Amino acid sequence: MSAGLRALLVAVVVVLAAAPFGLPPFAMTLLTEALILGLFAMSLDLMFGYTRLVSFGHAAAYGLGAYACGFMLLHTDMPLLFVVFGAALLTGIVAIGVGWICTLATGVSFSMLTLAFAQLLYAISFKWTSVTGGSDGLAGIPRTAGPFGFDALTSKTGFYYLVLACLVGAFLVCFALVRSPFGAVLRGIRENEAKTIALGYNTRLYKIAVVAVAYALGGLAGALYAPFAGFANTELLFWLLSGQVLIMVIVGGSGTLVGPILGAAFFMLMEHQLSSWTEAWALYFGLIFIAFVLFAPQGIWGVATAWLQRSRNPTRAS
Amino acid sequence: MALLELDGVTRRYGALVALDQVAMAVEEGEVRAVIGPNGAGKTTLFNVITGTVKPTAGSIRFAGQPIAGLPSHQICRLGLSRTFQITSLFPEMSARENARLSAQARHGRRWQPFGGAHIFEEASARADAALKQLGLSGIADTPAGLLSHGDQRLLEVAMALAQQPRVLLLDEPTQGLSVEETQQAVETLAGFLKTSGMTVLLVEHDMEVVFRLAHRITVLHRGAVIADGAPDAVQADKAVQEAYLGGFE
Repeated sequence: MSAGLRALLVAVVVVLAAAPFGLPPFAMTLLTEALILGLFAMSLDLMFGYTRLVSFGHAAAYGLGAYACGFMLLHTDMPLLFVVFGAALLTGIVAIGVGWICTLATGVSFSMLTLAFAQLLYAISFKWTSVTGGSDGLAGIPRTAGPFGFDALTSKTGFYYLVLACLVGAFLVCFALVRSPFGAVLRGIRENEAKTIALGYNTRLYKIAVVAVAYALGGLAGALYAPFAGFANTELLFWLLSGQVLIMVIVGGSGTLVGPILGAAFFMLMEHQLSSWTEAWALYFGLIFIAFVLFAPQGIWGVATAWLQRSRNPTRAS
Repeated sequence: MALLELDGVTRRYGALVALDQVAMAVEEGEVRAVIGPNGAGKTTLFNVITGTVKPTAGSIRFAGQPIAGLPSHQICRLGLSRTFQITSLFPEMSARENARLSAQARHGRRWQPFGGAHIFEEASARADAALKQLGLSGIADTPAGLLSHGDQRLLEVAMALAQQPRVLLLDEPTQGLSVEETQQAVETLAGFLKTSGMTVLLVEHDMEVVFRLAHRITVLHRGAVIADGAPDAVQADKAVQEAYLGGFE
């Protein structure tokens, strides 16, 4: 990480950590959700941006994490902290199976299999009423205290710090991952998988591993959402969310980790602003999305970093 | 014992017999060329040896170990590195990163998901050495997609070399190059082969390239071996002449 980028990220984290002291409760709720969505979008970036594994079913990770977390909070006495990470772990373990099946195919077929798996979970969430609550979903999910009487996370502000810590931690994990030898192989798969195989890499194992990590972190985001919103419903597994998170990644800037977080915040902001003006907000956001794909495919973060570099060494501008 | 031994290797695609009972043995340190008219089965032979295509029948032994039917990444790791007829690189990575990723494939901890500075260092050292052997040090930091076609072909060879293979399989290394580029590439390759003593299996169309580089030639025709021997002997062979001239009838 370059010194400038590190300073910028530290500054952003400090500002985010100070936010509860300056922002009204309503804004804090929006910010918390934006950070959760940011974590969700960043997890997809590992697959989409770094490995060119286009998932049309990333809602599966989010919904599974949310339902698992919600179910455990409702039906057990386990502390929130353990439940959240337990749900993420469970999602990652399930994803090993999902990845194993989906990576039997490549390209569009891979995408369709991820979609099929998400739709399968969506169908299950409707039918398995005793666990999922059917079309009503799980309601009244509490933020439980503990362990040892530790109850900071039961408050909205305390929970916000948990979300922020999860996002920062996940970012550092992803950042280390994409810069490691493992990450170099992912980049090889992205640019030329046939050649990567010919070099002696068992690319399928790498793909299954990255799917598992992406789902675990996506599951963590979902697991944070359930106690944040107090409910988990079938919408969290619906393909619409899978499409929206892809849009967040693309608009923010894929293959950058930071970009998708910005993309998620941008999406939330636009949804909030546009929907206060018009019912057809999705139509206008669609136009914005098309504009990004056509004129700035590198996304918000891509445009910003290019602009920063150009202003720093104007002689090398091309 | 030969380093690479094929016996009765056959590959059928439906009624088409792409390889018909191919037997050949490549000795350590030998530069062997496989030639033959279009559709003779040369590339299929490569694909069968490297495991991208499974043989229908027959045995392939590498250093005495049977490898027919193993997945290609395992065969590669045993010490067979190949280049492709159609240039296959990582276009957005620099030449050095291309060769580094190639060298990393031979590292015991190539999959390490954190840190790994020492793995990159070792792989980079091998990558730089391979680039130097083929005279590519000057373009090490250029993205592979921006290199000239000739340099791209040599970079593929350098990537294979960075793996320090026991056998190097080159599939038409001068494919698509102009006459001057071909001459340059061949001189570079000849110089490298002379000093390194590398065992090479080479598929090539261009006879000048073959006679400049190969110690021994195997001729394929309609999937079968019709001649095998020193370059002069093969050139004088009646069956070979007919196979090549037959293509114009």
